[in-house]
Amino acid sequence: MKSIPHKRSREVEAWLKREIAEQKVRYNSIVAEQDALAPKRDKWVAEFLERIQTRGVHVHFNMMRKVSPEEIPVRPKRKFRVVF
Amino acid sequence: MARPHIEPFVDRDVQFRKFTMPGFPKGMHYKMLSLDPDNGACTMTVMFEPGYKQPPGMSYSEYELFIMTGSITVGDKVHGPGSYFMVPAGVALGALSSSRGATGLLYYNYGEPSFVESDSDHPRAERSKFVAVNAYDDMQWTSTNVFPATAPGCLVKVLHFDERTQAFTFLYCMTPNFWQDNISYHDCAEEAYHIWGTSWMMQFGDLPTGGYFYRPPYINHGAFGCKLGTLALGRTDSRLYNHFHFNPWTNVEENRERAASRIQHWMPDLYKWINTHGHNHPVDFDFPHGHEHGDMPHHHGDGQVEHAHKSRRRRRKK
Repeated sequence: MKSIPHKRSREVEAWLKREIAEQKVRYNSIVAEQDALAPKRDKWVAEFLERIQTRGVHVHFNMMRKVSPEEIPVRPKRKFRVVF
Repeated sequence: MARPHIEPFVDRDVQFRKFTMPGFPKGMHYKMLSLDPDNGACTMTVMFEPGYKQPPGMSYSEYELFIMTGSITVGDKVHGPGSYFMVPAGVALGALSSSRGATGLLYYNYGEPSFVESDSDHPRAERSKFVAVNAYDDMQWTSTNVFPATAPGCLVKVLHFDERTQAFTFLYCMTPNFWQDNISYHDCAEEAYHIWGTSWMMQFGDLPTGGYFYRPPYINHGAFGCKLGTLALGRTDSRLYNHFHFNPWTNVEENRERAASRIQHWMPDLYKWINTHGHNHPVDFDFPHGHEHGDMPHHHGDGQVEHAHKSRRRRRKK
């Protein structure tokens, strides 16, 4: 039993409504911050793709394998989203 | 919709507010970390004022409380930093007080925060599932024990494991100079709060002390790094499997498709059976059927996978 059915009071409904509205604002601000991080992220991705070809990619625990150049994925044309 | 993707969010950037939900005593403050708009389930950082007192009582939702600083007293026992409680819905917790104040993390997993004064359990409560442990003093670090596993240097203490959903709550640490060069996603939602320390992820940058995320399933995260070490509390809503890869640009739909394809190859017979009409409403003989249990949406072979029953009124015998 994860939850027990019950009726919500008007005060609880009002509290939830306010919190949901504030969460939308918080979400939008996270999306904007993450969009602004795009240039740094592109650099981090380029470094990652380089590292997995030289040092390797983690497969399990301390097991790693080197990725060959032809395995490196090509960036799609769509927008690079990290927040969904 | 379920909870949105909140990542990253640093609660040090916002102030505590008075917690004014009906039923709760005065003296509790909170910062909302994430909230499910449908059922009100939420995760909050909370602060109990010095002198806070709460009578014995229960919640309509399962909840978890982790003490980060200060202490609380439940009954006659004092619980300091690292104390963890998993309180099933309807289980009455003894009188709670905090003479010098405390801060903690409070998770209401299946409904909005609620408090009903009571010194006895609700008839539907499952007291046997109550957990109280001190994660700092009573438990030792172990490796993650999943396959494929995170890189060496990520250690866990499992505080709670749900037998039915395989959801779990865990303290975890990353050792100084931890690094893991791959990208991961899971079939479960995952949330975590940094009690201390900063770690880095290729998508989101640094997550410092007070940093939090709620990440729905199939969202890429990693590569990972941590220079000085991190202590954090994590939680999943179901079984965690590390789907590792190295394509930074895949999206949720592609990741989900890949996960489904993997299930098809790992468990071909079960996959085929589930997809056969009439068999996609499975019943676990270990647990009450969803109709009675009421916590799991299910379907009747018609593709309405979020189907759930309202409680039925029984007819009185004439």
